[in-house]
Amino acid sequence: MGYHLRKVAFYLAALWAAVTLNFVIPRLLPGNPVDILMAKLQQRGGSVDPAARQAYETLLGTGGRESFAQEYLAYLGNLLRGDLGVSVSAFPAKVSDVIGDSLPWTIVLVGLATLISFVLGVGLGALVGWKRGTWLDALVPATTMLSAVPYFWLALILVALLSSGLGWFPLNGGYDVVLDPGWNPEFLGSALYHGILPALTIVLSSVGGWLLGMRNMMVSAMSEDYVLTARAKGLTGSRVMIRYAARNAVLPSVAGFAISLGFVVSGSIVTEQVFSYPGIGSKLLQAVQNNDYALMQGIFLVITIAVLGANLVVDLLYGLIDARTRDRSTVS
Amino acid sequence: MTWSGKLRAGLLLAGLIVLFGLVGPLLTGDPATIRDVGLTPPGDGHLLGTTITGQDVLAQLAHATRGSLWIGLLVGVMATVLSGVFGIVGAYAGGAVDEAFSLFSNVMLVIPGLPLVIVVAGFVPADQRGTWTISLVLAITGWAAAARVLRAQTLSLRNRDYVAAARVSGEKTWRVICVEILPNLLPILASQFVFAVVLAILSEAGLSFLGLGAADSSTLGTMLYYAQNGFALQREAWWWFVPPGLVIALFGGALSLVNFSIDEIINPALRERVRRGRDVVATTPVVAPADEDVVLTVSDLNVVYQGATPVHAVKDVSLTLRRGEILGLAGESGCGKTTLAYAVNRLHRPPAEVTSGSVVFDGVDVLALGPEELRRFRWVRLSMVFQGAMNSLNPVTPISAQLQDVLRTHRPSMTATDRAARCAEVLRLVGVDRARLGSYPHELSGGMRQRVMIAMALLLEPQVMIMDEPTTALDVLVQREILNEIKRLRDELRFAVVFITHDLPLLLELSDRIAVMREGEVVEYATAEEMYLRPRHPYTRQLLASFPSLTGERGALIR
Repeated sequence: MGYHLRKVAFYLAALWAAVTLNFVIPRLLPGNPVDILMAKLQQRGGSVDPAARQAYETLLGTGGRESFAQEYLAYLGNLLRGDLGVSVSAFPAKVSDVIGDSLPWTIVLVGLATLISFVLGVGLGALVGWKRGTWLDALVPATTMLSAVPYFWLALILVALLSSGLGWFPLNGGYDVVLDPGWNPEFLGSALYHGILPALTIVLSSVGGWLLGMRNMMVSAMSEDYVLTARAKGLTGSRVMIRYAARNAVLPSVAGFAISLGFVVSGSIVTEQVFSYPGIGSKLLQAVQNNDYALMQGIFLVITIAVLGANLVVDLLYGLIDARTRDRSTVS
Repeated sequence: MTWSGKLRAGLLLAGLIVLFGLVGPLLTGDPATIRDVGLTPPGDGHLLGTTITGQDVLAQLAHATRGSLWIGLLVGVMATVLSGVFGIVGAYAGGAVDEAFSLFSNVMLVIPGLPLVIVVAGFVPADQRGTWTISLVLAITGWAAAARVLRAQTLSLRNRDYVAAARVSGEKTWRVICVEILPNLLPILASQFVFAVVLAILSEAGLSFLGLGAADSSTLGTMLYYAQNGFALQREAWWWFVPPGLVIALFGGALSLVNFSIDEIINPALRERVRRGRDVVATTPVVAPADEDVVLTVSDLNVVYQGATPVHAVKDVSLTLRRGEILGLAGESGCGKTTLAYAVNRLHRPPAEVTSGSVVFDGVDVLALGPEELRRFRWVRLSMVFQGAMNSLNPVTPISAQLQDVLRTHRPSMTATDRAARCAEVLRLVGVDRARLGSYPHELSGGMRQRVMIAMALLLEPQVMIMDEPTTALDVLVQREILNEIKRLRDELRFAVVFITHDLPLLLELSDRIAVMREGEVVEYATAEEMYLRPRHPYTRQLLASFPSLTGERGALIR
């Protein structure tokens, strides 16, 4: 099987596992989510007819009236149709609409922050490794310390210092609420301005991991023969560093992207909560606090799909930057 | 800081925090006692001040540290056991079990952990969310990365000779795993355990901060939850909010220090201390070249590896290389011949230093060149073919890029077409098809890679080529072909060669003159014929005698 096909197959398997996990969890855990949901629905003035109940039961379990297999098929069918149920916390909005509204915020915030963090971490890591034995070495313990700090704690300290204290940044939110969301410069500027502090939190907390990994690989790569050859060839220092040492040292960081992305996404959920950011992380917590199980499951699924998708893209890119992977026949 | 220093500092700091969590609660009294001294700043009576309801922050901190450490320990142990089962056992069993375990680990790895934990915590009613439940969920979502690392390591261990020996001798599987494999995995297991503990404490803090933590526990996360809901920061009660986060950060930082030192134990390359000194400490003034015909003169060169016990690797070596000549440099491994070759091109790395002597290349004092002059000198006038030609090529770029690099740097005015033509030309010289230009190193055979390296060395038509054991790793037939190629090219292009090998008989056939090195010194320096017919130094005779002849008589050298 070709490299690309194998990767796609793996992520399909992972997707299936996530979907199934989503199906199994509410059925295995204690509690009676459907009853809670129906009660909530009634409070909100929604219709509590058998059809509404059945919709939730498909999602969360019928309590043994139907067989597991029947429930599973009905659940998969709903997923394929994009029907994730009705949110009770944002009643009468559909779960898919709630997610659709909040997802772009998170994708832009987390995506940009991760990209900045990766580029910064890998770049600095390469430099620290290359200039080993200089003052740059101090960056390693400093950034590692930052990644041992809880995201939300750092976020709150930053808010206290830079927003409340100095008034440089807004306290919370994703944009100035007096503006109408849309593609106009004021709104985009406001969104950018509101995003700086959350993004800074994510970058500060996650850059240390990339930096340390890259620096260690850089040190190993520098003792490789091909770096010696490159120096003997009389290439410029920056060319040896980038094209020979860093080009090889970056491979494990890219291959390990999956692990790190999971951390970043986890951290950003909490960060969104601190900043009351209008993204999917805040919505997830809102759903949990309101026992909005349908929204909870929908968001978990979407986050998982997004993470799997990002990993698939990175894995496919990896095949481009390391030719050996494409030719290897064994499953890694 | 050395690795042992880091280990000590990290263990000390982590130990202090653990001690605080163990003993602190016994000394500080009840953390829940409410007093009417809400939000008192740190001072007498309350070392770290009080919360909004007048509870003592220090007492809360001690209990919370204990709670967090307990969860960290629980999760750390469970996650390590899980990763051990899926990583080590899977890799050891191999076959379908390994495939299945590895697939499972990888799937668990790419499913984001905290969202899953939040969903699970959301479904479990608050009164049933205990410490064990939370720990179990955190362990289940946190073991996969470690399993992957352990699997890779176990795979390489199970193929080692001593493990194979144990298996062949009929030891039971569990015994092989426990006795032969586990001890070698200990540093990695320790590092993964430490990592799992830190991750668990961080994740639990996040969960509790969101109000989703264990109902029956008080941890640093719950403390932060109450501080946040009591608007600690808005009321400028930093003493309530800062300490819990700081304890987490310090503990995480301490354990990272421990992990740094474990990294350095596993990977010695990270360990060695780097002194960024000068590569040339002192030189001897250069005397005017005596002979127009000489291209390279090395006089009284000394190279020392500066360490706790300095190693004098090259001692007072003097050599001359004439234009178009092949100079053989022979000696056993460790005799300093490679160090000498590197020093001539100033490629020796710290802690090696040139402590005296001179290297003159066609009138240029090499040891006096500035960094930029040295860079322009390299490859243009003196190129090298290295010992491990297998590893001398960059594995991730095609060979055309590595050939073009040289031209791009040293011949910036050359057009792309000219560059491509020149690359194809040198490949033709060494007998490699130009279609190979687009190939990656791993797609070429060992002999072909070596030819590519020689082609690369020819690119700029240098006056001298240093070849460091260029054929040692090749089989005899390929070795022969390449040697013939080198001789032919030398005759055609008239460059001089310094040929380094431990194979003295090979040099007798190939070289014009030969220097025999032993323990950093040149013990004999003569023409090949002279050395063959009348070896003077006992060591040379010993070297010659150690190669069997084709007729089987030792010492009678006929090739």
